[in-house]
Amino acid sequence: MKPMYKLTVILQVIYWLIWPTLYAGAQDSTATVDSALLDRITALEKQAAYKKPGEEHFMVAGLATFGFASNRTTTTFNGVKSVSKTSNLGDGDHYEFSPLFLWRHGNKFLLEFEPSFADGQVGVNWADISYFVTSGLIIRGGYLVLPFGTYSKRLAAGWIDKLATDPIGVTDLPPTSDYGVEVEGGIQAGIMKWSYDIALSNGLQLLPDGTIQSAGITDNNKNKTLTARIGWLPLANSSLELGASIMTGKVGDAGSAFEAARASFYALDINYVENVKPFQVNIKGQYNIADINHNNFVNPIDSTSTYTFNNHTTSGFIQASIRPSFSPNKVFKNFELAGRYGNFTTPARSMWGAKQNAFTIGLNYWLTWRTVVKLTYETINSTNTTNKDLGGNTGETIKSNSFYLQFAIQL
Amino acid sequence: MKYKNNHLFITISAILFLGAIMTTIEGCAVSAKITAKTGVQLWSENCQRCHNTPPPNTFSPEQWETIGLHMQSRALLTDIERNKIIDFLQQ
Repeated sequence: MKPMYKLTVILQVIYWLIWPTLYAGAQDSTATVDSALLDRITALEKQAAYKKPGEEHFMVAGLATFGFASNRTTTTFNGVKSVSKTSNLGDGDHYEFSPLFLWRHGNKFLLEFEPSFADGQVGVNWADISYFVTSGLIIRGGYLVLPFGTYSKRLAAGWIDKLATDPIGVTDLPPTSDYGVEVEGGIQAGIMKWSYDIALSNGLQLLPDGTIQSAGITDNNKNKTLTARIGWLPLANSSLELGASIMTGKVGDAGSAFEAARASFYALDINYVENVKPFQVNIKGQYNIADINHNNFVNPIDSTSTYTFNNHTTSGFIQASIRPSFSPNKVFKNFELAGRYGNFTTPARSMWGAKQNAFTIGLNYWLTWRTVVKLTYETINSTNTTNKDLGGNTGETIKSNSFYLQFAIQL
Repeated sequence: MKYKNNHLFITISAILFLGAIMTTIEGCAVSAKITAKTGVQLWSENCQRCHNTPPPNTFSPEQWETIGLHMQSRALLTDIERNKIIDFLQQ
């Protein structure tokens, strides 16, 4: 046997003798590595699964406003003048903390709930369920913000409003939220866009003095109130929106002397935003009319008799603001100047009749896109037009000057 | 209808009439100019109608889905507009 051949045979014998040991070791090593890797992969998969978005999603947004308000009111009646002054922390017209809870089920259902702590009271702004049926059709039910004008539904939030105060009379005419159902949507046509928003709700309740309030969750009659708004955006860049709204329904308690009374509200609104570089110009306005066709009300002095007045109310505002949003200066671009004129006229010869005009100016500084500090000055001139025969201070004038420092943030 | 509200009805009727005329002229089909709009363009045009435009890093992609539905019902956006805006904000 040749030496080389002998060496080969010996090596083969040695290999086959130790092979089982080598194989087992190799197997053990592979098993150890694979097991560690598998554990790691499993852990990563589990981590990824935790982060994987599910069908259901919950988040909290909302808003908060806080500030300081100082007011000087001069009242003149029959030649006698009186002055009162107030200053309040936590006002800023007004302190508000409103978290907004949003639950989303897939991309079809959205549940919204916004409780609010404002004016020292806890309330609910809205609590509703929306079903996104298809493009251009959303169905909603619950406690809704009614589609009357645009201010209450889109512009009232402190971090959106350019001034610290609400426009006079606009948020009170008519009440903004109610229990009901709503359909809405946006439809593109050519370069233009239309939007519609229609709600059917419990409606309003006429009180013996001729004022109205929300009927609440238990309707005061069988009639339901219809509220609808049509919006038209005629320009391709959606910079201009014109809107028209109507709200109509019976407001008298069933079985009462007011049973047939009907309230009809109308509104026109405008929204125009244009970038005239380096500025952004913003114009907003809304005009409301309220008519109640019942004109005989309980005499507050003698409840067995009635008195009459034309129950017709109007309110409106026009607001302009300008901001150098496109300025290269990082400080200057955050300033915004705003001004507003408002008018609120309640029925003459009623117990709450008045003619009011409001002028408001403001300077804002935007800390972030949703955080703002506002300096606002507002003067309101009011003339009393109540019924003199019923003890009203007819002809009384009230001049109110207010200064606000407000901080507003979106949560 | 009471006489005192005639001016309001004339204004509303005029807006609706003008809108109807322009819709007839333009046609109901969505124009190419509109369909070509990008998410960033729609984000800029629609958000600033009411408030400042939010930067994409404000919310997580999943939160933007929820915000998208909320804002669709406020601004009355179409599904296409919402999806394009959300796609942009999720980047």
